[in-house]
Amino acid sequence: MEENEHTLSLRLSNELGELSRLQEVIESLPGRMNLPPGMIMPINLALEEAFTNIVNYAFNDKDPHAIGVDITRREKRLEIRITDDGRPYDPTAREDPDVALPAEDRKVGGLGIFLIKKIMDEVVYRRENEKNILTLIKSLPI
Amino acid sequence: MNVSLTNRNDYLIIGLQGRLDTLQADAVEKKMLEVLGQKHERIVIDCKELDYISSSGLRIFLIMQKKMMGAAGTLKLCNLQPSIQEVFDMSGFSMIFAIAPDLETALQDQ
Repeated sequence: MEENEHTLSLRLSNELGELSRLQEVIESLPGRMNLPPGMIMPINLALEEAFTNIVNYAFNDKDPHAIGVDITRREKRLEIRITDDGRPYDPTAREDPDVALPAEDRKVGGLGIFLIKKIMDEVVYRRENEKNILTLIKSLPI
Repeated sequence: MNVSLTNRNDYLIIGLQGRLDTLQADAVEKKMLEVLGQKHERIVIDCKELDYISSSGLRIFLIMQKKMMGAAGTLKLCNLQPSIQEVFDMSGFSMIFAIAPDLETALQDQ
């Protein structure tokens, strides 16, 4: 784990079990980056959804892959960059579910990316050097 | 994640304790389907000690609601922590569930 004053870089393997490690790191952010404690849950949720999506859908093979998570705090802005070498996939292009539908018409699933978009202020996807780079940005109150 | 089952006032009370995340979802879904198979007409899910939920947990709640509605049963939730309530609001789930502020209210017939 590399760390300087404002960035925390993690390298995770493409296994759902890594979510526990991710959770531990996120819970340490109030101490490390002065993140307001109320932000832990939403940030954890956004990262869980993004990470799970990559592990479940990005890879065509059964090989191990590294998934990079870089968390940077710059003044009142938290930026999380998630990098994987899976097939090209732009989650921001996905159509939002209709959250006004009654239960019987709601589809089971498909909420993960929508929650990321609701929690974060900006979600930016780009494909670069055969990698998917998803950047999640949240403005902080303090 | 811990799941407790209690019978009271014609209701089955399902208590959820801990985190309902991707890692826990399969085991919890299995448990819930097993409970639904017992054909309870009235169920309350007590979320007092539910500390975290992600889309994999929401998915289970929606499956339960669909099955209970299909069986003309009653499903209520109660005691949602503010952070959980927020996730329910974001996803539109606040509108598709009967959510009571506390267990006593949930157990009253409406």
